[in-house]
Amino acid sequence: MTAEDTLQQARERIGACADPGALKELEREYLGKKGAVAAMLAEIPKLAPQARKADGQRANDLKQALQALFDERGAALATTKLDALLRADDFDPTLPPPRALRGGLHPITQVTRELEDLFTSMGYEVLDGPEVELDHYNFEALNISKDHPARDSQDTFYCDDAGRLVLRTHTSPVQVRAMEKRKPPFRVIAPGRVFRQETTDASHDHTFYQMEGLVVGKDISVAHLIGAMKTLLRGMFGRDLEVRLRPGHFPFVEPGFELDARCPFCEAGCSVCKRTTWIELLPCGLVHPNVLRAGGIDPEVFSGFAFGLGLSRLVMLRHGIDDVRHLLSGDLRFLEQF
Amino acid sequence: MKASLRWLSRHIDLSGLTPETIANDLTLSTAEVEGIERFAPATSDVVVGHVVSRERHPDAEKLSLCRVDVGAGSGPGEALQIVCGAPNVAAGQKVAVAKIGTKLPGDLTIKRSKIRGVESFGMICSARELGVGDDHDGIWVLPENAPLGASVASALALEDFVIEIDNKSLTHRPDLWGHRGLARELAAIYERRLRPLDLAPPATGSGAAYPVAIESPACTRYVALVIDGVRAGRSPEWLRHLLLAVGQRPIDLFVDLSNFVMLDLGQPNHVFDRHRLDALGAGRGIVVRAARASAAETIRTLDGVERKTTPADLLICAGDAPVALAGIMGGDDSKVAPESEALLLEVASFRATTIRRTSSRLGLRTDSSARFEKALDPHLPLAAAGHFARLLQSIAPGVRFPAKPTDVGVWQDPTTTIELRAERVRSALGKPLPASEIRGILERLEFGVEATSVETAGETFRVRVPSFRATKDITMEQDLVEEIGRIHRYGNIAEAPLTFTIAPPARDERRRLVRHLQDRLAGGGRFRENLSYSFIADALLEKLGASDEPHVRVINPVHQGESRIRRTVAPSLLPALEANRRHHTDVRLFEIGKAYEPEASDARGEPRERHYLALAWAGSRPNPKTARWDGSRLQKLQAVVEDLVASFGLARGTWTKDGNPPRWAHPGKSLFLALPGAPHAAAVVAELEPGLAPKLGLAGDLDSEVAVAELCLDALLSAERRGSAYRPLPRYPGIKVDVAVSVPEATRAGELVALVESAGKGQVVDVELFDLYRGKSIGEGRKSLAFHVLLQSDARTLTDQDEQKFLQRFEKLVTEAGGELRKA
Repeated sequence: MTAEDTLQQARERIGACADPGALKELEREYLGKKGAVAAMLAEIPKLAPQARKADGQRANDLKQALQALFDERGAALATTKLDALLRADDFDPTLPPPRALRGGLHPITQVTRELEDLFTSMGYEVLDGPEVELDHYNFEALNISKDHPARDSQDTFYCDDAGRLVLRTHTSPVQVRAMEKRKPPFRVIAPGRVFRQETTDASHDHTFYQMEGLVVGKDISVAHLIGAMKTLLRGMFGRDLEVRLRPGHFPFVEPGFELDARCPFCEAGCSVCKRTTWIELLPCGLVHPNVLRAGGIDPEVFSGFAFGLGLSRLVMLRHGIDDVRHLLSGDLRFLEQF
Repeated sequence: MKASLRWLSRHIDLSGLTPETIANDLTLSTAEVEGIERFAPATSDVVVGHVVSRERHPDAEKLSLCRVDVGAGSGPGEALQIVCGAPNVAAGQKVAVAKIGTKLPGDLTIKRSKIRGVESFGMICSARELGVGDDHDGIWVLPENAPLGASVASALALEDFVIEIDNKSLTHRPDLWGHRGLARELAAIYERRLRPLDLAPPATGSGAAYPVAIESPACTRYVALVIDGVRAGRSPEWLRHLLLAVGQRPIDLFVDLSNFVMLDLGQPNHVFDRHRLDALGAGRGIVVRAARASAAETIRTLDGVERKTTPADLLICAGDAPVALAGIMGGDDSKVAPESEALLLEVASFRATTIRRTSSRLGLRTDSSARFEKALDPHLPLAAAGHFARLLQSIAPGVRFPAKPTDVGVWQDPTTTIELRAERVRSALGKPLPASEIRGILERLEFGVEATSVETAGETFRVRVPSFRATKDITMEQDLVEEIGRIHRYGNIAEAPLTFTIAPPARDERRRLVRHLQDRLAGGGRFRENLSYSFIADALLEKLGASDEPHVRVINPVHQGESRIRRTVAPSLLPALEANRRHHTDVRLFEIGKAYEPEASDARGEPRERHYLALAWAGSRPNPKTARWDGSRLQKLQAVVEDLVASFGLARGTWTKDGNPPRWAHPGKSLFLALPGAPHAAAVVAELEPGLAPKLGLAGDLDSEVAVAELCLDALLSAERRGSAYRPLPRYPGIKVDVAVSVPEATRAGELVALVESAGKGQVVDVELFDLYRGKSIGEGRKSLAFHVLLQSDARTLTDQDEQKFLQRFEKLVTEAGGELRKA
């Protein structure tokens, strides 16, 4: 067979080959160690010297031509295969991936952290206080006298008949504990759980969460309190909310206020704000001189403000939770939503 | 507390002010207004009609057929035909007519209708239907001079708004429990004058004053006024309507007037039947004394309930017979008889705490006790007696006051004087108020203000606190700051930024640890954070067999059997497992919380507080055929705990069985983690005690493999930290060798790891157990453990020879230890 015939035949066979494996096989048949071109080259030394050059040249040309054909076909087949791969997979986007179990933090923890981060960024210290608290810190030092109605056993869990130990009814006892260990100026917050001896229903639980705030320094005023509360709201709701202070009576502040904020959920009244467009958000006030004294701070020299934020209530507002008892229910169907 | 604007208008001119404005201003300056209501709104929708004629209904004996003229330009011939069922309807009456289309309370709309075949074009209303009384005896007959066709509300001057004030925002303000006090606030807010009110006792006869003896310091003043010549009849309409507006049911003249004086001045009072008093007390007069301990005295109060007293209660007695529970409720035996014309008015001052305690012990809270609890102005009794007498005189001109009022008791004028520095007001409010405004506000609130001296340049005042504010609320300079701030309005104070020296708060290791644990568990650990109650149920403790453990207890629990405060946190998670397992195959919960140990109380009596992390992991049991040797939940939870400890940077600890298993733990499968530096085990991980599972409801379909762990945060915080220095990367490749040994069951894995390390002569850098197998090929009572071992040197590349030497040494050690090296 002449080189031309060989080339012609190979061209046809390569053209017909659709499988990369078969193509490799074919390539070996022509260009392998024992292939057609090798056989042709092996014949050359046997030829007359004058014919060797021409035949050698022909064999080499054939080899190159064949190699080019194989490379071209190989590249074409690879492209075809890639095209097929790219075309073939029409993946169902609605096919669910394997279910992964997810962990998560309690919504109370989430909101507590946000507030801790907000306040620590302004140099507040985060404090902790005991839940089983001395009557002294929970009441006496906070200017709540023995005869004050807040001390009724209807509101307070007492741990002994002598009334020395109670479950703290608010986070405010941390105020005096903080004063005892610090010199003004200072600013602290104290989130934590508190207890009230009351019958439970959808909006009352005997255990809930609060966050106390306390700032003590020289010439701390109502104007500072308003500024700090606006900053707090900005951090909590991500925008400026109009606030109003109105008189509110708490024995450990004087003057005392209720701080209302414009309802962040509506403009014309909704169920959250009971159609008033105001949300009663937190009690606050200037620290009562008797409380400063109980903490070893001279009220003639220093003053301060304090506030108490209802964390459980905030969580309920934020997520529209209609029953406070879900918070401590331990029900995964509830916990998994946060 | 409900306040009627019409009532307030008796004390102050409210013209030009809407109910909404008043409510809003009171909220911002005084006390929270919870709502505004129109009084008897239906009276504005019905009109005055004149019954022109009344005939019997042709077809019903008890019905009347009336023709009613309702004015509005229509002549008498055009009067409405109305069928009426009331027995008291009569021609010539003025009546309240609801015309067609009028809406009445209770969603009733008047329509044209046929009653027994006769058409009716409206309804003649009763007072009850219009919300102005509860008279049952038929239609409301209006005064003859009521203008025809006018709305009943305007014709009878009933138009009124009632604002409801949150009682909680009045606890410190005894002066605001009457309309006069509220009017005083409005006078200060709007800079208007209070109308004068004459409270002096009226002229009396010269008879002997009624005898009153006070035997208890809990009564500080007792005023008694003898009243003759008037019987309890129906009160005038204006009085009835004002009482109705604030939610009081009119009864008769004496009860109504007593209530009116209380709601007007805030001073409770009581009217006795004097003949009954004299009969009960054999003419010995009034004695105020504590109830007797020995006698176990009882008194039947006006509500008909027989009440036992204790020596802490204060009684009003006629002679020796109790006739009233002081300050709370009168007695049934001495109440005014309808025919009686001999009365005694009591107006007294009682100690607030005495009244509060008795009222709270008996669960009997009345309008009277609510006011006495607030510490009332001791000046009030005589003023209130005068008010009562003058009002009675104006209503019943025949009344006689035969004797001067008795006025006994030992009381102090609470009026005080406080020094006020204007500069103090400014620095507390954060606003430069001029001294004149400070002074003006206080004067409007009826405080007396005078500048102390010329030197202070009008910047320091002596402020006289009026007695009605001095009993409780205003005792110091700071209290005056509040008065000025609230009337000036806090909303008029601009916010100011806090300025402080910038310094980051101190590093808080405990909080850092808590956050680390939470994040790690909620993230990679895939646990859900739970918060449970601090109370631990007796029933649970019983299941745990832990009823004997000491607990902090509350003496007044909300729920029976939930008086104890937890001393560790893990038990709190156990009750949640059953409910969650009903809808979850894999339940992973954690909780970080506080627990208390009463036996370790400090000198001040505070129980020791510990902070714990508890973990509970429950799920269905694995198939023993396919389960991996290290697939138990116990071991998985152990891995979670190791991760928590290591990722917080603590030095590596050791797991042992040396510890007291908690009551919830399987004693044979309780593992304790000892950390270097920690005084006691930092963690316990265990399988749930198998006998406990069914008691927790984890049986049958809910049968679960449960592992529980508890970490003591205090121990973690005291544990040593792992070194933080960097280790250079290996310079020479290591050799991986796998070894498997068969050993008796009792041999611990840790012993084998020690043998591997010993055989490696310092070249072992990692040992990992990758299989644990028991089976026939190994033999009864034996097990096989297989390890990946990594040998590596810092000095050179290790060779096959090193591996062979290691294996030879290891085989020797294993054989000595009773094991056998298994050839691959």
